[in-house]
Amino acid sequence: MTLRSIVARATAKSAHWFLHDVMHRGGTSLPGKLAVAIDPNILKSIQQDFDLVIVTGTNGKTLTTALITRVLQAGGYEVITNHSGSNMIQGVTGTLVTRKIKPSSNGKKPIAVLEVDEANVEKITHAIKPKMFVLTNIFRDQLDRYGEIYTTYDKIIAGIKHAPEAVVLANGDSPLFTRGDFPNERRYFGFNHISPENYTPGPAPINTDGILSPTDHTVLNYDFITYANLGKYFSNSDDFARPNLRYQVTSIDKLTPNYSTFAIDGTPLRIEIGGLYNIYNALTAFSVGREFDVSPEQIKTAFESNAQIFGRQEAIHVDGKDVTIVLIKNPVGTNSVIDMMLTEDHEFSLLILLNANYADGIDTSWIWDAEFEKLHDTNIKAVATGGERHKDISVRLKMAGFEDQATYKDLATVVQAIKAMPTEKVYVAATYTAMLQLRQQLGSAGFIKGGF
Amino acid sequence: MSTYTLSFAHLYGDLMNTYGDYGNFIAFNYYAKKIGVQTEYHLVSLDDKFDAEAFDFALFGGGQDYEESIVAEDLKYKVDDIKDYIENNGPLLAICGGFQLLGHYIEMADGSKVDGISVMDHYTTNMYQDNLTVLKGQRLTGNIVIKNNDTHEEYHGFENHQGRTFLGKDERALGTVISGNGNNGMDKTEGVIYKNVYGSYFHGPIFTRNGNLAKRLLVTSLERKYPGIDWHSQLEAIETESF
Ligand SMILES: [Zn+2]
Repeated sequence: MTLRSIVARATAKSAHWFLHDVMHRGGTSLPGKLAVAIDPNILKSIQQDFDLVIVTGTNGKTLTTALITRVLQAGGYEVITNHSGSNMIQGVTGTLVTRKIKPSSNGKKPIAVLEVDEANVEKITHAIKPKMFVLTNIFRDQLDRYGEIYTTYDKIIAGIKHAPEAVVLANGDSPLFTRGDFPNERRYFGFNHISPENYTPGPAPINTDGILSPTDHTVLNYDFITYANLGKYFSNSDDFARPNLRYQVTSIDKLTPNYSTFAIDGTPLRIEIGGLYNIYNALTAFSVGREFDVSPEQIKTAFESNAQIFGRQEAIHVDGKDVTIVLIKNPVGTNSVIDMMLTEDHEFSLLILLNANYADGIDTSWIWDAEFEKLHDTNIKAVATGGERHKDISVRLKMAGFEDQATYKDLATVVQAIKAMPTEKVYVAATYTAMLQLRQQLGSAGFIKGGF
Repeated sequence: MSTYTLSFAHLYGDLMNTYGDYGNFIAFNYYAKKIGVQTEYHLVSLDDKFDAEAFDFALFGGGQDYEESIVAEDLKYKVDDIKDYIENNGPLLAICGGFQLLGHYIEMADGSKVDGISVMDHYTTNMYQDNLTVLKGQRLTGNIVIKNNDTHEEYHGFENHQGRTFLGKDERALGTVISGNGNNGMDKTEGVIYKNVYGSYFHGPIFTRNGNLAKRLLVTSLERKYPGIDWHSQLEAIETESF
């Protein structure tokens, strides 16, 4: 390490210490900025200290990164990881230069597992060569700063191309990840929980993105679909099909809103969170773990002993109501939430809060791509709507056949709205800023502690 | 039981479906159902024949550039049928990419040119054109309000496009821009009306937020298939969603 690098690291570390330990502020980009300002080659100079795993894709990065971290730790690795708020180049640099790593006693090289924003992959691989890229999925989002799903994938590929030695470990159920011209070895994970006699071959539902075959641009067929464009796809016109899977979900045993049980490569597993998409997150972590020789038993233990990291759907009690808050932000995510509600055994009510501020996406048209019609197949007893764009969401639900609904124009009445629901079980689905406002209301009414 | 059924064609609904375009069908269906009219949904995609006689309403939505270029190739085999349908006053709602592809050509963001089917007289350049005086190099994104010049109805929506569309001489705009950018940001036009074809850049989607327009096209479709019935006053009794 050069003197310059040493100074850069020391400066970043003291900035980190000051911000993190003295000011109690995490996730700032300042240490990274300082380090880069002093030594632009700082990342190059420290890269031999650890193996780097980059986790990228549009959905599920944060939980997947947290799960991979626990899995690798269970396998005896020292792990460096970043916060979801620092997945751009400055934040990543900050994380790496301010790392605290104990010397390993077992001879295993430490691993840095970093969640990286899709558009920042290239900037990072310019400076530092990862050992592995982990690709979760790519879905369209009204917030998308880079336009199309193919453009997003191209940004990732541009980064992959800087590290041809790295293994690309990708979600094989996404036809997108078979695209791209790069020399890296590709390994895939996916779902194989349905036996061939139960296949239902056919195209994806019409409102699905990314369903063209990369070989001849025909519309793909699927033996089965898990959700969105993910599944066991094949082409009718040539022999293009889903690649062989190295790691696979071999059964799904129980899906509930609060936990799921399933098996990967025959190992029975349980995670304390509902939603099929979270099984993908677990599968991704399992696959990375196996790539680093973590045993299936160690992975199972990692999932079971870290139940708290699944805590995104927090349960809250409001005067006898059992309230679950879920974030909705795009059609694929919302459909996943609706799928999860299909697994709810109890009668429930649903309050949907829609805002359209910058952090929510200023275009509300995405609500028409989400399949609220499917709610008729759940145990839903009542629907209410609210938020700054209450009219949009209220008309959406009305046209989905929920004509009888209360509408709350003012988010200040949201606690009343919850209390007025006819069932004990209440789901609140909210866009990002609506959720912040909701939490503030629940906080000032004393139902939750502090902010967020 | 109802004996009235409208046959609905969704052109490339599996490929051209960005930003809630499908919602136009949901809204159309919603008002139809309220007056006891059934709708039958048909996906017309790659390699499928578009039978001009078979449909009472058609929706052609927007897509990503890649899908749009694949669709443009396939459209060459449907040109005659689509032209027949339009010239025989078939009602059609074309949004964004669908609107663009009915015209002469589209210049993509990367400068490549995609052929439209020239059944209508507009053309679309990209956002880097030298003659652009407004927001050159930027997408036209944001809330938009326009006013229809015949009915004086206001339509509300959200626009999000890089392409700049210029109308031909037989085409009139769906409306005049009150706020927002419209077809090209310069001439205050938004969308197009030609015969019973309504084109627009509005997401929202346009029928969901502008029930008056949805009802207008529903009446047009019904009168064409089932003349002599006062569809208008039946629909008037239904609350119009407009926001
Ligand atoms: Zn558009």
